[in-house]
Amino acid sequence: MSCEKDDFCTQNPVTPNLILRFYDDSNRESVKVVDNLYVWAEGKDSLFINSSLDSLFIPLNSAATETVYNFSKNNVVNQFTIQYTTENEYVSRSCGFKVIFNDVNFASDNTWITDFEPNTLTTIENQTEAHVQIYH
Amino acid sequence: MYKFIISLFLFFVFGSGFAQETEIEKSELEQDSIVYKTAYGLRLGADISKPIKSTIDGFYNSGFEIIGDYRISKRFYVAAELGYEDETNQEDYTNSRAKGSYARLGFNYNAYDNWLDMNNEIFVGYRYGFSLFEQTLNSYTPNIGNEYFPANTITPNTTADLSAHWSELMVGAKVETFSNLFVGFSFSYKILMGVKEQEGFKTLYSPGFNRIFDSGTGFGFNYTISYLIPFSKK
Repeated sequence: MSCEKDDFCTQNPVTPNLILRFYDDSNRESVKVVDNLYVWAEGKDSLFINSSLDSLFIPLNSAATETVYNFSKNNVVNQFTIQYTTENEYVSRSCGFKVIFNDVNFASDNTWITDFEPNTLTTIENQTEAHVQIYH
Repeated sequence: MYKFIISLFLFFVFGSGFAQETEIEKSELEQDSIVYKTAYGLRLGADISKPIKSTIDGFYNSGFEIIGDYRISKRFYVAAELGYEDETNQEDYTNSRAKGSYARLGFNYNAYDNWLDMNNEIFVGYRYGFSLFEQTLNSYTPNIGNEYFPANTITPNTTADLSAHWSELMVGAKVETFSNLFVGFSFSYKILMGVKEQEGFKTLYSPGFNRIFDSGTGFGFNYTISYLIPFSKK
């Protein structure tokens, strides 16, 4: 009975993370790495410390309707706010319920980030591609 | 039990004897004027593994099963089981509980050649089973896959009336220990034919079937004590 296919959750992750991808503001087709990047949610420990990344996978708070992130580059902090509603959807015996984020709104106070798109998303339910493009 | 082991032993000894001298022995057997009669009747009993399971398995809240069969020919028995089960399903991210009644109907074929007037069985059987039950989703914690934002445990306590039906193939044995008192056990392989799913969730357990996996198959076991009310000897 231990080798049934739904004994282990092989779907990973079950609940999607938010995926941000960084692009060059002067050449919006090309990916541009952010150096000296620190990432933390408001009131939380850092998720990334002094990293060089062209994309970010960050969790959203399923127990709230808003998650506020701070992205720091070269000691300049840019606040990025995500607002949403949550929906719990059953996946399987071993994976349990996943969280889907609906009616998503993005806002940024644009310090080192110059622009981003889109401003809204109807849903975040998977991680197959980046959800937001960030220009800097 | 000794009687059974001895008879089993004798069966193999004489069985191989027959195999070596088939033609002669067979014709002698046919001329044998002594006919050993065995009892026909209604046999009633209970599965004693389920009350034991409910005392040792904390998630198996309660269960009982009454069994019955009626012999219709030398080798065929019409058989049925009726029962009730109540089990909590504690998974990694969900906690639910299913409870309700079930019935299984079918037949057993006794493949065992009894020695003298013995009335033991090694049988194969088929059952059609169905269950009417309810399942309650007690609580769940969304699988968020990170510790950064802990997820809240949600207690929906939603209950749904559900049903399931399935087929079973069984193998087992019954041994007459004292006169008309039988001890038996059986294993069954179950194939789910249909189940009503709980809305927004899934039906994880059906009484009489056991845990329902994606493959729709399952195993069962019972250990029974039954008493034969003999109607006639044939």
